[in-house]
Amino acid sequence: MLASSYKDEDGHISVSGSGAAAAAGGGSLRNKKPENTAFKQQRLPAWQPILTAGTVLPAFFIIGLIFIPIGIGLYVTSNNIKEIEIDYTGVDMSSPCFNCSQNFSWNSTKSCTCSIPFQLDQPYESNVFMYYGLSNFYQNHRRYVKSRDDSQLNGNEESLRSPSKECEPYARHDNKPIAPCGAIANSMFNGTTKPVNWRRPVYELDSDPNNNGFINEDFIVWMRTAALPTFRKLYRIIQRRNNLLPTLPRGNYTLEVVYNYPVRSFEGRKRMILSTISWMGGKNPFLGIAYITVGSICFLLGIVLLIIHHKYGNRNNGADVSH
Amino acid sequence: AFVHIVMISCYTSLVIFFIPWAAMHDAVRSDGKDVADYQSFALLTQTSLLIVVSAQMFLDTNYWTAINQFFLWGSLAVYISVTFTFLSNGLFFMFTSSFPFIGAARNCLQQSNVWLTIFLTCLLSILPTVAYRFLLIQLNPTISDKVRYKAKEEGQPTPAPYRPPARRVSTRRSSYAFSHSRGYGNLVTSRKFLRLRKPSSLFNRKEAANLCKQLIFCRI
Repeated sequence: MLASSYKDEDGHISVSGSGAAAAAGGGSLRNKKPENTAFKQQRLPAWQPILTAGTVLPAFFIIGLIFIPIGIGLYVTSNNIKEIEIDYTGVDMSSPCFNCSQNFSWNSTKSCTCSIPFQLDQPYESNVFMYYGLSNFYQNHRRYVKSRDDSQLNGNEESLRSPSKECEPYARHDNKPIAPCGAIANSMFNGTTKPVNWRRPVYELDSDPNNNGFINEDFIVWMRTAALPTFRKLYRIIQRRNNLLPTLPRGNYTLEVVYNYPVRSFEGRKRMILSTISWMGGKNPFLGIAYITVGSICFLLGIVLLIIHHKYGNRNNGADVSH
Repeated sequence: AFVHIVMISCYTSLVIFFIPWAAMHDAVRSDGKDVADYQSFALLTQTSLLIVVSAQMFLDTNYWTAINQFFLWGSLAVYISVTFTFLSNGLFFMFTSSFPFIGAARNCLQQSNVWLTIFLTCLLSILPTVAYRFLLIQLNPTISDKVRYKAKEEGQPTPAPYRPPARRVSTRRSSYAFSHSRGYGNLVTSRKFLRLRKPSSLFNRKEAANLCKQLIFCRI
């Protein structure tokens, strides 16, 4: 009582025999061959990138020729940006801020001031940007970066009353929630108020009501964590007054520092930077140099490959290829 | 081959991290504000990584059909749209702690030095691969390379001149038409039709003779 099935030429499967009478009710079963379309028979038109000498060598030369002028442009622009960095950590004994850095204590109410003279060799025109820079301060440490509560900063009432767990151990103090919570807020850089248990609460950061509370600009700038351990953040902008006079003419200046932020405990450094700005940002010669380097490497590589192609390229005409 | 791949991977990883690192070291935006923050740096690195990977796939794919094109460009398009979605205002307000990178794309992708950095990183990562493959083709061509070169030299065979398909005079006729004409009668009886040659060694001679008698047209 075997049911025998056979396939005829068209791929139809017919089943004969007594046992399969129920299955064969319809007569011809479904056709198992896929349809004869280009997609299903894998006959789609295709293309392949082939690295021939005619494409690769001109590409190398063109890239070299494009990169070198871009690099030169970047380098020249970067050189025209004027920048001055003044480190006021007070590491050397000769530095004016040495006493302040040595005598720092958390509980002192009297703030220590020091003044550092510096001089500008060239006049600074148009807007001058003042940055504060820190070194060896790892704002990109993972636990530090996560120690914030964005809902609280957004003004969410529930989060204001109960800060998120990420902020521990800076979430509560004497059973009262801290706003803003977290290690980032706690370590805010300030020229004038103490960190760790801020002397002034957040709603008294500035007398200007538009710059107070959570929308205080210094606070916002600080909360945006930096990527690298040596970073600079914008502090103030010195606006250009009129087109005739430079914003900061040449001469001697003095930087008055109220030394409040201790950095020597972790071998950090702090500095003040005055800089002008161009279309590519601050003074950054790296991009210009990198572009020039890569452009010339490309060009040289193109020449080398051209020589190799000329001398050895006819190995492609080998006689051992049979049609 | 494994060592080769490991070397290329190490080189590419170092390039993708250190070029943005050096470019962002003391960088600021063109209006003076920060661009070296954590979120923008991450976005910069991630974007250059995506582009490098797509370019490597472009070089490695041997058989580019429409499907391949769709998926490659599609993945880049999806990356861009997902990036802008994740960093948009809407998602930040809905799930505040999960999407803290708000605004990073709009902020840093407008800067020309960010785009220049991405361009430099991608090019520096792909250049060794391209140069290496080109050198291999020149110095150690495989058989398929040689065949391809020869085929390119000889050029494509000119396409056959176009002739409109000749209208075939149909030689098949229906049996109706057949029955009204002379048909094959003469041919069949003329003994030219089937000629059985010397029989094969399967049969012996007697059987062959019997076989021949049965068939009308046999000739021994």
